[in-house]
Amino acid sequence: MSGASTSTSPPMASISDVNTLFQNAKKYEELNVIGTGAYGTVYKARDLHNGGNIVAMKKVKVALTEDGIPLSTLREIALLRQLEAYRHPNIVRLLDVCHGGQSLERDQQLVLFLVFEHVDQDLESFLKRSQSPLSHGVIRNMSYDILSGIDFLHSHRIVHRDLKPHNLLVTCSGRVKLADFGLAKTYDTDMKLTSVVVTLWYRPPEVLLGTSYNTAVDVWSAACVLAQLHTRKPLLPGASDSDQLHCIFRLIGRPSRSEWPDNVSIMLDSFPEYQPQDLAEVLPRIHFQALELIKGMLVFDPAKRLTALDCLEHPYFTDEPLM
Amino acid sequence: MPYWYYDKKDLQNTPSFRDAITTETENRYRKEGARFIIDTGSKMDLGYNTVATGVVYFHRFYMFHSFRTFPRYITACCCLFLAGKVEETPKKCKDIIKVAKSLLTEQKFASFGEDPKEEVMTLERILLQTIKFDLQVEHPYGYLLKYAKCLKGDKAKLQKMVQMAWTFVNDSLCTTLCLQWEPEVIAVALMFLAGKLSKFEVLDWNGRNPKHNAWWDMFVEDITMELLEDICHQVLDLYSPQPQSSGGDSPPAPSPAKQPKNEKKPPSITPPTSASPVAVVVSKPILTPMKNGADIKVDPPKMEPIRYTYPAYPGMPAYPAVYTAPPPSIPPPPRLPLTGPPPPSLVYAEPPPAPPPRFPPVNVPPPNYFPPLPGRGPPPPGPPPRPYYPPP
Ligand SMILES: Nc1ncnc2c1ncn2[C@@H]1O[C@H](COP(=O)(O)OP(=O)(O)O)[C@@H](O)[C@H]1O
Ligand SMILES: [Mg+2]
Repeated sequence: MSGASTSTSPPMASISDVNTLFQNAKKYEELNVIGTGAYGTVYKARDLHNGGNIVAMKKVKVALTEDGIPLSTLREIALLRQLEAYRHPNIVRLLDVCHGGQSLERDQQLVLFLVFEHVDQDLESFLKRSQSPLSHGVIRNMSYDILSGIDFLHSHRIVHRDLKPHNLLVTCSGRVKLADFGLAKTYDTDMKLTSVVVTLWYRPPEVLLGTSYNTAVDVWSAACVLAQLHTRKPLLPGASDSDQLHCIFRLIGRPSRSEWPDNVSIMLDSFPEYQPQDLAEVLPRIHFQALELIKGMLVFDPAKRLTALDCLEHPYFTDEPLM
Repeated sequence: MPYWYYDKKDLQNTPSFRDAITTETENRYRKEGARFIIDTGSKMDLGYNTVATGVVYFHRFYMFHSFRTFPRYITACCCLFLAGKVEETPKKCKDIIKVAKSLLTEQKFASFGEDPKEEVMTLERILLQTIKFDLQVEHPYGYLLKYAKCLKGDKAKLQKMVQMAWTFVNDSLCTTLCLQWEPEVIAVALMFLAGKLSKFEVLDWNGRNPKHNAWWDMFVEDITMELLEDICHQVLDLYSPQPQSSGGDSPPAPSPAKQPKNEKKPPSITPPTSASPVAVVVSKPILTPMKNGADIKVDPPKMEPIRYTYPAYPGMPAYPAVYTAPPPSIPPPPRLPLTGPPPPSLVYAEPPPAPPPRFPPVNVPPPNYFPPLPGRGPPPPGPPPRPYYPPP
């Protein structure tokens, strides 16, 4: 860390001169790419200021406006930083936020780096790697972790909107932490990487139908993930938007006419009169309370769905102490 | 997570100090910068939260940079610009610059360079990096109102006391108190001061517990009289006549050749630059932007402009009674009884844990850019975590 000497005054620098120096200020050394999502790339990196600690660094491109960094991005980062003060055990630690300086900003872009604690793997690869079914205890603990993280976000008025095994991280001790949230508005700029396909499997009906939605979307997605913990297979692997709705209605039954929202373009009659399936057949060997919980989460009407807090207070978690 | 509190030694050994700017001059620059943010913000109808956030950014920024490298008024503009966005009261950069120009002398405005807007834009990124994107800042105002709600006693006197404390909080922005103490502590201290000066003695309060000696014990642990007096002194010092200032109007340039020529203005005795608690004028109703997005409408107190004569407070310098200052430019506090912020949402009612102890990398700037901080041994322990007791 041999910077400028302190005994002599630095020369009077113009602001733009000083800014170029940021490019040299290396705090992290990128090692390799761990993940490429729809909006950014995540690198494994070494924190050079912190004993070479391994971190996960997410690179997000932000479109600059006429008035600099967009308000929505600043708000979202402020909120992420503020959440961090709670150090919730089921939320991935955000260690640092920095930006890439001027060099990559040629076309009114700013590269933001969000530095997170590095977590062993995501739930997707955890489930792929596990050879045998997970034990009831493991499933219950993971389910509780996921719902606690969601409830925490919801209590801070954040909707995750994209819960899925790829966005859930599993620590070496088997705890689950939520990742990839809070930047929805930042992402909404034109920075989407077109080549990446967004998975529909965890989308609730109200999102697929395009009606307004809220925190209940996360409960639906969580139900799909919880079910997947039991079978290690996706619960509703639809092939397209409409196929996803067919998958959903085949499982929970076609909603009644009175339940069907009237502000959607898709007709209820475009779906056959699917009868609800017995979830116990889809999820064999499941703990009966776990089954009840998931049923309460997979409800068509978002208003009738359990909330994350309801879920945490469900007998599945309260009947016996958690491990 | 960054930790933003410093002890007196750190506040002495700043980048500006190591850059041959005396502490006295630095404090004057800080005061002028803060004052300028307050004035610009008020002129643009920005709320007190936005203004205070901008000022806190400003003070934090100069814990990492010298006033010689970054002239204070353009930094101040940038801080206000960023705070406006973060607090969701955005102002166009060019509008802020316009107001700044109207408030500054031509010579001071010259520090904005050829293309002021571009300079502010560039500075925004430096500012963000410097404050580590730690954008959400809490201020004493909210605590002040929360605490006031619990105090019992004559309503009119209580209101007068809160009003005065509010003004002290405004003025405290011109000091480095926000770099020393959490907003809760500052709120307690300045209410204590206002109580003394307005002769409002708190004898009883809601939620009183036999373990507590003073009302503030209910909210913040381990506040000593010594600490309170130290904080009060720092604010009261703003009102005492300034010693002949040594530094010029702008930071000493590295070479004499760069010294601006028309520096003839005699170093005047700066009266308290800020809205002093001397006169309080009512302004229009204000909308208090709440962090959580809910807007709460509060009514400003209907008060005639009042002139307080400050009694000498034992152990503190007598307040210069003749001093008159402009009315506070930041909206006065709402009338009591107060509409508090909405109750915290469900489960996580507990406030975030006290900040973790300083951890080393936080204050270490990236290499090759910020000069290393010499002589910083193992980080001194931060103030002990103080559990906050929820109000009854
Ligand atoms: N903190 C982390 N530790 C380890 N791996 C991570 C971490 N954060 C993300 N990843 C990996 O990178 C992938 C993409 O990260 P994510 O934050 O979901 O970005 P995107 O918005 O591009 O989906 C994740 O699916 C996960 O596999
Ligand atoms: Mg992702």
